[in-house]
Amino acid sequence: MKFFVDAVYNAMSLIFGFDREVYLVVWTSLKVSGIAAFLAAVCGIPLGTLLALKQFRGKQGILLVLNTLMALPTVVVGLFFYALLSRRGPLGDMGLLFTPEGIVIGLFVLSLPIVVNLTLAAIQGMDPRLFLTCKLLGAGPAQQAWMIMREARFAVTAAVVIAFGRVISEVGIAMMLGGNIKGFTRTMTTAIALETSKGEFELGLALGLLLLTVAFIVNALLFFIQRGQG
Amino acid sequence: MTPAYRMKRISFHYGEIPVLEVGDLQIASGEIVALAGPNGAGKTTLLHILAFVTSPSSGEIFFFNDRLEKHNVLSFRRRVGLLLQNPYLFNTTVLKNTMWGLRLRGYSRAVAREKASRSLQRVGLSGFEYRDARKLSGGETQRVALSRALALDPDVLLLDEPANHMDRESIERTLEMVQEFNKKHGTTIVLTTHDIPKIQHIVHRVIHLRGGMVVPSLPENLFSGQLMEDGSVFQTERISVILPSPVSKGSHIAVDPTKIKIDTTVPRSTLPNSFTGRVVSLTSENGFASIGIHAGERFRVRADADSSLLADLHLGRNVCITLQSDSMFVF
Repeated sequence: MKFFVDAVYNAMSLIFGFDREVYLVVWTSLKVSGIAAFLAAVCGIPLGTLLALKQFRGKQGILLVLNTLMALPTVVVGLFFYALLSRRGPLGDMGLLFTPEGIVIGLFVLSLPIVVNLTLAAIQGMDPRLFLTCKLLGAGPAQQAWMIMREARFAVTAAVVIAFGRVISEVGIAMMLGGNIKGFTRTMTTAIALETSKGEFELGLALGLLLLTVAFIVNALLFFIQRGQG
Repeated sequence: MTPAYRMKRISFHYGEIPVLEVGDLQIASGEIVALAGPNGAGKTTLLHILAFVTSPSSGEIFFFNDRLEKHNVLSFRRRVGLLLQNPYLFNTTVLKNTMWGLRLRGYSRAVAREKASRSLQRVGLSGFEYRDARKLSGGETQRVALSRALALDPDVLLLDEPANHMDRESIERTLEMVQEFNKKHGTTIVLTTHDIPKIQHIVHRVIHLRGGMVVPSLPENLFSGQLMEDGSVFQTERISVILPSPVSKGSHIAVDPTKIKIDTTVPRSTLPNSFTGRVVSLTSENGFASIGIHAGERFRVRADADSSLLADLHLGRNVCITLQSDSMFVF
C-alpha cells in the first residue's frame, strides 16, 4: 500500500511541478491526435455527408467496409503502415517512419472511418423534412449538403470528439510508427507502457492521470455538445 | 393570360403503383386554385410536382411557357414557394430561418436581413427575429415558414393543407395574407384542402382529385362499380350508365352535378342514361340550388337558383333525370 501511496504522491509532484518531460509527452500526444482528428474531420465529414445523401451502386459494400474499419485493431494499422513506411517499403524514401508525421498518418486512418460513419449516421437520422426544405428553398446540391451539415453540426462535432478520444488513447500505432523516441515521438500511451516496464511507476502514473484528465475533458465536451443539441 | 403551369399527360408512379394521372391541366398566372380531395387523392404529390421537387414519371410541364428540363429544374424551383403542412424550421433564430432562401439566391447579409425582417412584419411576427425557431407554437411555426416563402417573392406560392392544424383565426389570417399577396403581386396560388368550405371564399377555381385523377365534378355524384360490355357500360350497385365511348379501366364514375337535366313533364324519357326518381332534398346557397334526387342512386343536381324549373319542384315530386354525355368521368 505504501508503494502505491508513494507512487501517487510522486506522480502528483511531477504533474504539479510541471515536469518538462511529462508535459512534452502530453504535448506530443495532443499534437499528433489533434492533427489526425482534424484531418479526419476535413475528409470524413464531407465524405460521410456524401455517402448519406447519394445513392449509387456499391454503396452498401462501402458501408460494410466502413463498419468493419470502425473496429480496426490499432496494431494492424501500425503493422500495415510500418510495412509501407519502412526503408524497404514502397513509401520508405519519404522517411516518415518513427516521426510524428508517421504517427499522424496511422491515427488519421484509424479515426477516418469513425468520423465518416458517425457523420453518416447523424445525417441519416435527421428529420426527413429537412432535406425537402433545403430543396424547396432552392438550394443546389452543394448548398443542400452544406445546410444539412450545419443542421447536423452537434452530432458531427461529437463524431470528431469521439474520434479524437479514440486516437489519443491508442498505443499500437504510436508505438509501431513513432518508435517511442524520447522528446520526439513519445506519446502518453507509449510512455506509460515503457515507464511501467522499466519500473518507473511514478512517471507512468502521472501520465496515466493526465490521460484520464484528457478523457474527462473529451467527455465533458461531448456532454455539452449533446446538451446544446437538445 | 400566360399560364403559370401547363401540364400534359402527367403521371407519377411509386415503383409500379400509379399514384397520379392528371392528364392535361392548366393553371393561369395570378389564379388562386384549390386542389381538393380526400386523403390519398394525390394532392400533395401534385403539389410537389408543381414545386419541382418531385419529377413526374411521364408527361410534360410548361412553367410560364418554358418546358421543364433537367437543366432548368433549380431555376424553376427558385421561382416557387411551398408551405408544407408541417413545416421544418432550422435549428437557429427566426430571422436566420427567413434569411436562408435569400442567402442561397446570393443576396448580401444586409439585404437578406432587411427583406427577411419585412417579410416577418408582413406575417405579424415583428419582434420574433431573435427567438429560437424551435420553441415556437404550431401557428407561429406556420407563419415563420410562410414568411420564409414570401420573402423570396415567388411567382407561385403553393400551400399544403393550410387549413389543417390551425384554429379558425389563424386559418383566416393566413388566407387573408395569401389573398393579399395574390392581389398585390399577381402571384399564382395553389393550395390543397380536403375541406373546401374553409377556403372556398378566396379561391377562383377548385380542381377535384380522386384516386390520383382529376375529376370534373363535385364529389357528391361519385359511385363505385365496374365496367361491363367491353367498357361501354358502367354498372353501379343500382343503375347501369351507358358511356359515350368505351373505356379500358375504372372502378368509379363521377357525374358533374351541373350537367344533369331534370324533366318534370315526361314521366319516363326514352333517352339513354335517363332515370326516374323523386326529389328528396332542396337547398339553395350562393345563387345555386342543390337538388337531391333519388333515382336508383342518390344524385345531386346543381342549377341556378332563379331557374324556372325550381318552381315545379317540391319534396317527393317524381322527376326524370338525364345524364348528359359529357357529364360522366370514369376512373
